[in-house]
Amino acid sequence: MDMKVIQADNEITHVVLDGRFDIQGAQEVDSRFDELAKSSKALVVDLAKVSFLASLGIRTLMLSAKTLIRGGGEMVVCGANENVEKVLRTTGFNEVAGIYPDYESAARTLQEGLAAFSSKKA
Amino acid sequence: MPSRTCSRDFPGTVEAASDAESWVASQASVLGLGDEAEFAIGLCLEELFLNAVQHGHANRASISVSAEPDGVTVEFADDGEPFDPTLAPAKRINGPTDDFEIGGYGAGLMQKFSRRMSYRRFEGMNRLVLEFDAGRNADAGPDNLSAT
Repeated sequence: MDMKVIQADNEITHVVLDGRFDIQGAQEVDSRFDELAKSSKALVVDLAKVSFLASLGIRTLMLSAKTLIRGGGEMVVCGANENVEKVLRTTGFNEVAGIYPDYESAARTLQEGLAAFSSKKA
Repeated sequence: MPSRTCSRDFPGTVEAASDAESWVASQASVLGLGDEAEFAIGLCLEELFLNAVQHGHANRASISVSAEPDGVTVEFADDGEPFDPTLAPAKRINGPTDDFEIGGYGAGLMQKFSRRMSYRRFEGMNRLVLEFDAGRNADAGPDNLSAT
């Protein structure tokens, strides 16, 4: 599975996945996901080009979401097709990571969260 | 429309689980499966294969997929330790939390993505039969294919 990481200026990291998030796909991106989760504050995982998601793929997403949340960050996903979204909702992943139709709406929500956090600190 | 069946044996390794997924994806057009059925079958097989290999310590598994007029039937058999996934609880994350478990969601996924599951232990093998709805493609291949 291909994984492209786009670091935006606004503290949001955009991860674009392309392919099947199956056993092999998860093995291919696991370590990079782990590094990103430890170094990012706000992660948008773009699933628009992901045709399949099963046990090990959801495990990779959950591990990263947990690391981010415990570090004070947040993960959201976007662009999931109907079946992929059904997997996310069946496991309850949507309770810990928001699901958005596209990158723009996901990034906007994360940006608002980052702004609110900054103003609270100030 | 007559039924079409593809079957194949696999060794009990994680690498073989990946091979099984690729095999099912490659047979989808032969069996005339729609995208939704292919997705559901792939998801269930990944879960079953990983359970059998990682938890049941299976040495081998066999998969048989039959496309019939009213749906698709998949039989997954393995020689691992006895395990009935139809009795496993459907776990899900409830509410915003950072204290959620990473694994154990497979039973709930299989229940959600299949129409019916039935289990029996027979001749030292776990035998799980799963039924799926199937959107079928019109250009399905020849009947009763098999590979080992």
